[in-house]
Amino acid sequence: MHFVVVGNSIAGIEAAIALRNRDAHAKITVVSYEHDHPFARVALMYIFCGQMRLQDTEFYDRELYARMRFERVRDLVTGVDPVAKRLSLKSGSYLHYDRLLLAVGSVGRRLPWPGAYDQPGMHHFVTLPDLEGVNAMAKPGMTCAVVGGGLIGVESAEVLHLRGLKVHFLIREPWYFPVALDNAEAEVVAAHIRHHGLDCRTATPIDGMERKGGKMVLKMPDEELPVDFVVGAIGVVPNTKFLEGSGIALTPGGAIDTADNLESVSTPDVFAAGDCANVTWPDGSRRPEQIWYTSRDQGRAAARAMLGDDVKYRRGTWYNSAKFFDIEYTTAGFIPFAAKPHKHQGVGAPGEEAHWQTWYQQVPGQAITQRIVCKDGRFVGFNGLGTRWDHQVFMRWIHERRALDWVLAHMNEARFDEEFVEPFRVLPSATLVDGA
Amino acid sequence: MQAGLLDTHHNAVSTRRSPAWVVTGLLVAFYLLLYFGKEDYNATDAAVRYARDPLNLMLVKLGWKLNDNGSLWVFNKWYLYAGLYTLGMAVGGYFMLRKHGNSTYHRYRTYSLVAVQAVLGLMLPLVLDFLGRPAWYFSYFFPLKYDLFFPYNMDHMQPTVMAWFIVMSFVGLPLLVYFKGKRVYCSWICGCGGLAETFGDPWRHLSDKSSRAWRIEQVSIHSVLFAAFAMLGLVIADGLAPEGHAIHNFANSYKGMYSLAIGSIFSGVLGTGLYPVGGTRVWCRFGCPMAAMLGLIQKFGRFRIAVKKDMCISCGNCSTYCEMGIDVRSYAMQNRDIKRASCVGCGMCAHVCPRGVLQLVTRRDAGPGQHTQEWTVDL
Repeated sequence: MHFVVVGNSIAGIEAAIALRNRDAHAKITVVSYEHDHPFARVALMYIFCGQMRLQDTEFYDRELYARMRFERVRDLVTGVDPVAKRLSLKSGSYLHYDRLLLAVGSVGRRLPWPGAYDQPGMHHFVTLPDLEGVNAMAKPGMTCAVVGGGLIGVESAEVLHLRGLKVHFLIREPWYFPVALDNAEAEVVAAHIRHHGLDCRTATPIDGMERKGGKMVLKMPDEELPVDFVVGAIGVVPNTKFLEGSGIALTPGGAIDTADNLESVSTPDVFAAGDCANVTWPDGSRRPEQIWYTSRDQGRAAARAMLGDDVKYRRGTWYNSAKFFDIEYTTAGFIPFAAKPHKHQGVGAPGEEAHWQTWYQQVPGQAITQRIVCKDGRFVGFNGLGTRWDHQVFMRWIHERRALDWVLAHMNEARFDEEFVEPFRVLPSATLVDGA
Repeated sequence: MQAGLLDTHHNAVSTRRSPAWVVTGLLVAFYLLLYFGKEDYNATDAAVRYARDPLNLMLVKLGWKLNDNGSLWVFNKWYLYAGLYTLGMAVGGYFMLRKHGNSTYHRYRTYSLVAVQAVLGLMLPLVLDFLGRPAWYFSYFFPLKYDLFFPYNMDHMQPTVMAWFIVMSFVGLPLLVYFKGKRVYCSWICGCGGLAETFGDPWRHLSDKSSRAWRIEQVSIHSVLFAAFAMLGLVIADGLAPEGHAIHNFANSYKGMYSLAIGSIFSGVLGTGLYPVGGTRVWCRFGCPMAAMLGLIQKFGRFRIAVKKDMCISCGNCSTYCEMGIDVRSYAMQNRDIKRASCVGCGMCAHVCPRGVLQLVTRRDAGPGQHTQEWTVDL
């Protein structure tokens, strides 16, 4: 049996390791284009600013391939022929497979401005070539725009600012990171970003861009903004252009459509994991999950499926974390405003009447907030900024259907901060409002 | 983002480029001079010449002497060294806190390290000496202070002082470490660790993270521990053996060799001299018998670094900035709590983690299952 894994990031490499752990004799080939060794793409920002080297972001030792007897192919896959069961490579050669895992990840979503990519100046911050591009472009004293109010946006804005560029952080939505934060929390983050000296603008749609006198001029409703270059951070799309016409079913968004066992719905012996796979979410919706830990889990699940196990991949209760400049963020469970536009993210049947309550407080003068969401008097979700929390504890409480008062009385058990920090306290300014 | 670390790899002195080698050369030369250079010391001469001259007495106590022609010269190099050491820690501590002072843990432990050095490592010995009493460094214990029980110390050690050193070396610190971790000593009190944490901070990421380095470390540090306790045995035997016994010669040459190889060359010349090319805790990691002993206790004690389940994004900040070369990330990726003998509990891994995955804890181990449950909540 020859397993071929395309992509050596977390989904691909975890799958390859899982395959080897179960099958000592199979031939396992790992094809990668960006780098010889698996590295943490989420750490691009640290490489950019010099906090780490690329080598420091490699999350396995360099002997991994030899130890696991992976064949390393360093090439770009340009096409898949599922009938002949072979990949065509950029070098001109072919690679046969018996079972194929596509763990090809994402690329930055392109900004829809006509001609934007015809000349230099349009950048993303997702891949190693992206990093090299921005790194070569960004010089202290330049002016740049980061377009898009998500995690990649805030990370690239931060490191460009720290390199000494004038950064305009332009967000179309009325507040920062609306898929995860509500207005009050987002304002805490935005104030923090502005405090660092960035120009952070919300509710700022950009109608287009044109090049004038060596500058890129962004057209906004009230203003034209000239910048030296633009980082597009309006999300990512599956890196699946090379699959068009292969017969492997893609969704309109470009994701590889998979069954419950992560096998392609159209093509036997082809599996997908990570950012490029279209999977079922707890609310029943179908879309990719672009998260590090789910990519790892998908890789492992796909490996079992490739070995013939009866696998049903399902992600558990939602949780995540992030860092906006210095502000750490933890979320667990269901924060209904975060569910939009997927309104019923596992929080009951559509149209079901429920009594929602939101408890919220901010430590005065500090970027520290807590939000607790209850449905019919039971704890269902948590958002926290500025302090560290153990999402596992919250998920247990959600599972145990704890009441708000009980949760508030036990909050310090969920703290995951360093020693000597202030314990959690309910402040007089805390609010409890109906509705989520 | 930890703003203070931004330029780590853009900075020539932190990345083994030529300025780093220059600094290493200077440090090595300094330590060779310190340990093997001659000092102009003559106690009788000093007592006679300076006893009635307050200014000169003060200078002598600070390690200098005023020659008749008005020039200054190093008189007692050890006091001069203690002064420089304290200055290096204070200045280094200032810069360290400019990077990491947003952490309460780092603030407190840096204050503690600098204060211990300034008070117990500099001022108290000076004052005691001023008062004509034997001067002791009360924050160094056996086996780090390997000559604590040598006759030249024991001969004039007051019983209370002896009790302090014996109780702290063999009962007090081991108990503290059992309950709170090796960090109590290595990252809050120890002068060697203190210099690494402050003056050495720009080089902490240079520690070797390979498993080969880990294997070498396990052999070398425990060899030194064995050598230190063997020496303790010899010192006792030396004291008990009748006059003329062959053990006296052997004990003396053993003590001399240990002092030279471990005390001067390893802990001093190499331990500090190699900061800019080998990372800051080379001595603590590969040689310190105190670290070895406390590490064995830590292994069975309550301290560990708890890992938040399935939250690690494998970025590698923790491993990069671990000065002891522990591959923290590999534990975090496997959701395994970290309980390593070598961990000095500096807390940097937890501090630089962008996802808050790590926490230094001293509570009893969580019950089985606490960190392994999958929660899939159906509302």
